[in-house]
Amino acid sequence: MSTGLAEVDAALSGYAPLPRLNGELVFDEAWHGRVLGMGVVVLEQLELPWSSFRDHLVAAIERHGQPEGESAAEAYYVAFLDAVESLVAAQP
Amino acid sequence: MHDHDHDHGHDHGGHHERPASQPELRARALEALLVERGLVSTDAIDAVVSYYENDVGPQNGARVIAHAWVDPEYKARLLSDGSPAIAELGFAGVEGEHMVVVENTPSVHNVIVCTLCSCYPWPVLGLPPTWYKSYAYRARVVAEPRKVLGEMGLELDPDIELRVWDSSAEVRYLVLPERPEGTDDLSEEQLAALVTRDAMIGVARVEAPASARP
Repeated sequence: MSTGLAEVDAALSGYAPLPRLNGELVFDEAWHGRVLGMGVVVLEQLELPWSSFRDHLVAAIERHGQPEGESAAEAYYVAFLDAVESLVAAQP
Repeated sequence: MHDHDHDHGHDHGGHHERPASQPELRARALEALLVERGLVSTDAIDAVVSYYENDVGPQNGARVIAHAWVDPEYKARLLSDGSPAIAELGFAGVEGEHMVVVENTPSVHNVIVCTLCSCYPWPVLGLPPTWYKSYAYRARVVAEPRKVLGEMGLELDPDIELRVWDSSAEVRYLVLPERPEGTDDLSEEQLAALVTRDAMIGVARVEAPASARP
């Protein structure tokens, strides 16, 4: 595991930054952290840059929005989950 | 931050206290699929999650701060001699031996830096964040602290005195943030959950939980 958080932040900032409070990551549920971990490992395994994932993530966030009653972190990681799925589905 | 305490058999069902939400079920299904396709291993995901959580998990320091908020005598001991007071709670370590705790008040704000390298009170705060080690932070927080804090999202009133503490091999600083208003009914444990790493470095405030905000 060699992808540091700074690298993820650098790729996503300005587009779809990881949810934070006071600088710290917000995982409302344990699966939020796990989905982030899946993204990191899949990109490493496929040797893809974070910029290629970013497009999937931005599109997923636009599709999903933030439904009423859903926390910002929940909405973000639901979209993140979509994005990992669509990234994997797009691989030959 | 959650402790993600799942077993390595990854029997995700059966022992949960509540039914899993739809996205949680989807997340499990995706993980299973990725494992099946050889794209991830559960151990690799565990490693990432643990790495990121530890990167942002200064729970020891948060417990020190929360205890100081609820126990004035402890707070007095903590401010007069940090190391033994911190050790009272069971936290001590190679680089946490000479701890000086500096208190934020309505008129004084403290922030810590290590201008020479990256000295940091890691027994109470965990590993330092990347930016703490950056040359930009180390140089600029001394030269233009208000601006740096502003860029990090902390706007300070001009009449608040700002003190910058330069850590060294001998002395490590920890900021005792102000207890947020509206938290009188919270337990020590609940208070500790509010205290962030950044607040104990002095680049953020401790925010009241949403339920306590007006």
